[in-house]
Parts: sequence; structure tokens; C-alpha cells
Amino acid sequence: MSSSVLICDDSNLARKQVLRSLPDSWEVDVELAKHGIEALEVLKNRDIDVMFLDLTMPELDGVGVLEAIKQDDIKVDVFVISADIQPEMQSKVLDLGAKAFLRKPVSPDVLVDTLQQHGIM
Amino acid sequence: MAYALNEDQQDCLQELINVAMGQASDQLARYLDTFVFLTVPNIELVNGQGLSSSLESNTDSTAVVSQGFFGYEGIRGEALLVYKHKDSDRIGDLLGYEPGELSVEEQLIDISSILTTTFLNVFASQIENQMSYSAPKLLAHTQDTVDDYIKQISFDWDMALKVNINYQVTDYSFNCEMILLIPAAAIENIKTVIDRILEDY
Repeated sequence: MSSSVLICDDSNLARKQVLRSLPDSWEVDVELAKHGIEALEVLKNRDIDVMFLDLTMPELDGVGVLEAIKQDDIKVDVFVISADIQPEMQSKVLDLGAKAFLRKPVSPDVLVDTLQQHGIM
Repeated sequence: MAYALNEDQQDCLQELINVAMGQASDQLARYLDTFVFLTVPNIELVNGQGLSSSLESNTDSTAVVSQGFFGYEGIRGEALLVYKHKDSDRIGDLLGYEPGELSVEEQLIDISSILTTTFLNVFASQIENQMSYSAPKLLAHTQDTVDDYIKQISFDWDMALKVNINYQVTDYSFNCEMILLIPAAAIENIKTVIDRILEDY
């Protein structure tokens, strides 16, 4: 059975980087979102198993998305992938319920290791 | 416009800048022992007149540190760190210096070097390049001087790629803006490098 995955990043290049980092062996059905508002629309309309979330975005940033997910009690495993690597930001997103923080640019090895550590695949 | 970046080039440049500013802000946060709030950077192509008027929008800025950068493949430009008057007076407190221990000018150059070199080294590594730098210069505290300085730099500023990055230290209401100016002659070189990255995708 395939997993539903949502990649949310305002950068087309960054979305492609994440997409290319997903292992071929993992059967996924992928949705893309350009900012937090789009991501929340997807989350409200269908079940998503795993979300890869950027932080610094227009419209609604990643922290805002995590807050909305927490407030609305949406069931989704969120992995933050961001260039904002400050320790305080990493703690903040983990406190808000993200499973892990990965720094940009993400590498396939790190992404797969992280997913495996969290029993996703 | 011949120098304009297409949508994919702009997106790629913005992502390279995001990663670089993230690491620069992390360095700044560690140096000041605080948190730096980041916003989406702004990238635009400006002509000489537009460049002057956009610098004029910083009329309440009173301290500007400028540093030239030069990489391989004709990548070059000027990095300006623009401080507001009230902020530049507060830098000594932020850095934990005793009054008179280090001049405000030296403090501004210190903090600018951290931001500029971290940002540009990370940017360069992503494009498999390496930067060298001119000595940072603190420009005098008037708009005319900044404008004059830009005109004096030996670049052709008829057209420039201008990148604005805002570093906001929320705990102290300290704000500084990094403005990267890439002259016309270097824009084509940047585009070539970006196209090489995009080919992989």
C-alpha cells in the first residue's frame, strides 16, 4: 500500500530536491504545496501520512502550519526541512510536534535514515 | 530584458540564498546569543536609477559597511550591511562590550564580517565556487556618501541584480539589512552557474 506524502516548500527546486531524495523502493503518492495555506488545504481535504515542511515561506510559514496542525489535531508525521538551522528554531518545531528537523539542502541518505529512525519505511 | 532571470533561475537563486542566509543567521544568533528572525529574501533587477532610489529608501540608515566579493567564473559584487542609527548604537550592548572597549565602527565591521563572509562562503560552496573579499569599509553616515561610494566602485552599475535580506534580532529590536549588488557583467555568469544546477533537475 502506498503512503501519501505532502511536500510543502515555496521553492520549486527545493520541492524537486525532496522528491528526488525519496527512495525508489518507497511507494508514494505525492502532493505538492507552495506555501502553508496550500498545505493546510491539502491536509483538510485528504489524509496525508508524511509531510515534508519548509519554514521560511510567504503566505503562511512552516511554524504557522505546525501550529494549525496542532490546533486542529490533524494526524500527520511532519519532517521539517529548512535552512533556518538555529537551535532555537529546531527546538521550537520539535515542541510543536515535528518528528525531526533536517537541514537544507537535504541529502537522500539523511532523509532515508531519518524516515527509518521514525519507522516510516 | 537581457539580464532578467527566468522563473526557474530566480527560484534556484532564491533557494541558494535561503540556505546561505540560514547559516549566516545561525552564526549571528550564536555570536549574539539570541534568535534571528528570517523573512523571504527579495531579488530584483534594477537599473542605475533604480539602484540609487532603492538605496535612498534607506535614508534613516546611518551606518553602512561595504565589502566586495570575487569568485571564480566572473562571479563578483558588493555586499552592503545597512544599520539603523538606534541599532548601531546598541551593538556594543548586544556583543557584551564595556563602553569604550571597542569603537562602534569596529563593532559594526566585526558583525558585518560574520554575516557577509558566512553568507557568501555558504553561497559559494553550493555553486562549487570560492570567494575572496576586499577589506570591509565603514561608509560615512549619510545617504549621499553611500550613493557616491556605489558610483565610485569600478563596476558598471547601469544594471544590477539586487538581493535584500533582512536579519531581525527580535530580543533586542535590532535590525540590519544585507544588500547584495551584482553588476551587469556578473549577472550572465551567475545565470550560467544557475543553469548548470538546473540541468541536474
